[in-house]
Amino acid sequence: MRDFITKALCIAKKDASIYYFKPQIFGFGILIPAFVYLSFSLGREIPPELLVPGLVGMVSLFGASSVEAISIAMERQTETYELLQTAPVSTAGIVFGKSLAGSAFGIALSLITALGSALLSQSQITSPLLFVTGVVFGSFAFSALGILVAAATRDMPTANISLTALRLPMIFIGGVFVPIHALPPWLSLISYLTPLTYLVDALREAMVGPTVSLVIDLIALATWFAILQALAAIVLKRRTEL
Amino acid sequence: METVIQVSSLRKQYGDVIAVHDVSFEVGRGEIFGLLGPNGAGKTTTIRMLTGLTKPTSGTAIVAGRDCVRESLAVKQRIGVVSEVNNLYNEMSAWDNLMFIGELYGVDKSTRTARAKELLEAFQLFERRQDRLGTYSKGMKRRVRIAAALVHNPEVLFLDEPTSGLDVQSSRLIRSIARELNKKGTTVFLTTHYIEEADQLCKKVAIIREGRIVAEDSPEKLKASLPGERILEVAFSKDAPGIEALLQANGSVVDVSREGNKYRIGTTNTSIVVMELVQLASLNDLEIVSINTKQPSLEDVFVKYTGLDAVQLERMELLRAAKAGTGRGG
Repeated sequence: MRDFITKALCIAKKDASIYYFKPQIFGFGILIPAFVYLSFSLGREIPPELLVPGLVGMVSLFGASSVEAISIAMERQTETYELLQTAPVSTAGIVFGKSLAGSAFGIALSLITALGSALLSQSQITSPLLFVTGVVFGSFAFSALGILVAAATRDMPTANISLTALRLPMIFIGGVFVPIHALPPWLSLISYLTPLTYLVDALREAMVGPTVSLVIDLIALATWFAILQALAAIVLKRRTEL
Repeated sequence: METVIQVSSLRKQYGDVIAVHDVSFEVGRGEIFGLLGPNGAGKTTTIRMLTGLTKPTSGTAIVAGRDCVRESLAVKQRIGVVSEVNNLYNEMSAWDNLMFIGELYGVDKSTRTARAKELLEAFQLFERRQDRLGTYSKGMKRRVRIAAALVHNPEVLFLDEPTSGLDVQSSRLIRSIARELNKKGTTVFLTTHYIEEADQLCKKVAIIREGRIVAEDSPEKLKASLPGERILEVAFSKDAPGIEALLQANGSVVDVSREGNKYRIGTTNTSIVVMELVQLASLNDLEIVSINTKQPSLEDVFVKYTGLDAVQLERMELLRAAKAGTGRGG
């Protein structure tokens, strides 16, 4: 286990030093969510307990999923992924290392956004620790989602398009702009199939005062992470072990 | 000699296509073993199976005492792999690449620092260790790649087309590095389409064609295995009219031709022909100015088993490299 963690950390450090500063990360991880949010929020009166969790959830989704989607796609394209494959580290170890790097990026970006938006909207976060916990759990799940999509697609443009095609509907049904209870019943049912719904709900709970619902949200996010992580490892192994 | 690589009936099949067809061979500890073959023959697929990158369809491969499928991580810990393409990180310096690889193989910090310094110095790259790899030439990148594969001191080094596409100086340096490593006890397994390279470096060569090993032995034994192919070149002090006909009468002589002032004699038995030449010279009052025996080259062996010569082989590789744009081999 110690060996698994050490090697995963080694991969995470390397990814952070290489991929955090790629222009694609700025475009897909920061610019797109910023534009999406602005286009839907400008001119509307949004209460802080809706604005902050929605914005932070979206930033976590785009930030965490972009880094490793781009990293996996680039590593496969430049064949540096083969270097990792030839090393004594399992595919699960590689995926976990990459999840660490992607989620660290998502966490940092989300917390900066949380701080900025809370200050600007002059709102308070009732349970900061639970808020951070939610961001951590959500970012891990989204990072694994990015790896899974990149593993399942053949190149970077396809990975980015596929990921965007998944993320945009998630934003509309995940409670970012419209509360879940305001959605048509069939759409609210579908919304519970996306991890973003649980993150936004967890962050809202942490802002206004946590209830048992937050625990369920965290369990759901951890489950999403475990499932996506396992699927990413399986798909990546199948796609690269030719 | 202790066997360090043992391959039995190894097969890789993609749908109906059999890329590697039940190959079996052994590599002894401390050997330089060359897998020689044209593009698409199955060299890279074989090396990928031995290094845990590709799962075999059937058969077994034991490397450094561990099974390549069931104990792939243990195998990977004991081997170093140098792919034909540069698969290090261009965004990182040579030093950082080596440190990263060392850490990934579980080498402690002080050991990997000392090892990286030693390797980069040996490969004449220490001065540029902090430069981004993206600024290096192809030959320098290949040297860094080999250094990276050695940070953890592997028992077996796999080199996939180590000098393909490199300039003469870099190729020479890499060959001398392979020899040096071998002297220190590292087993080297290389794939190459350069016949001369295999001849110069390898203690044992296997020729692979269409996924099957068609010949396997030391280069010298492979050359010696070609019947009736030894060549004698003899030059006399003056013209020796009729000597061709006299030689043709000898049962050991396959053919005789004249090239300038030399006679080129193809024979199945050099000793008998040399004795006959001495007799003929004495009888005809001729002085033998020079006499040389020439063995068939490894290229002759390769031509026999694959039907391709070095020029055709190189042309195939160039075509493949142009198509792939990366230089990956078959």
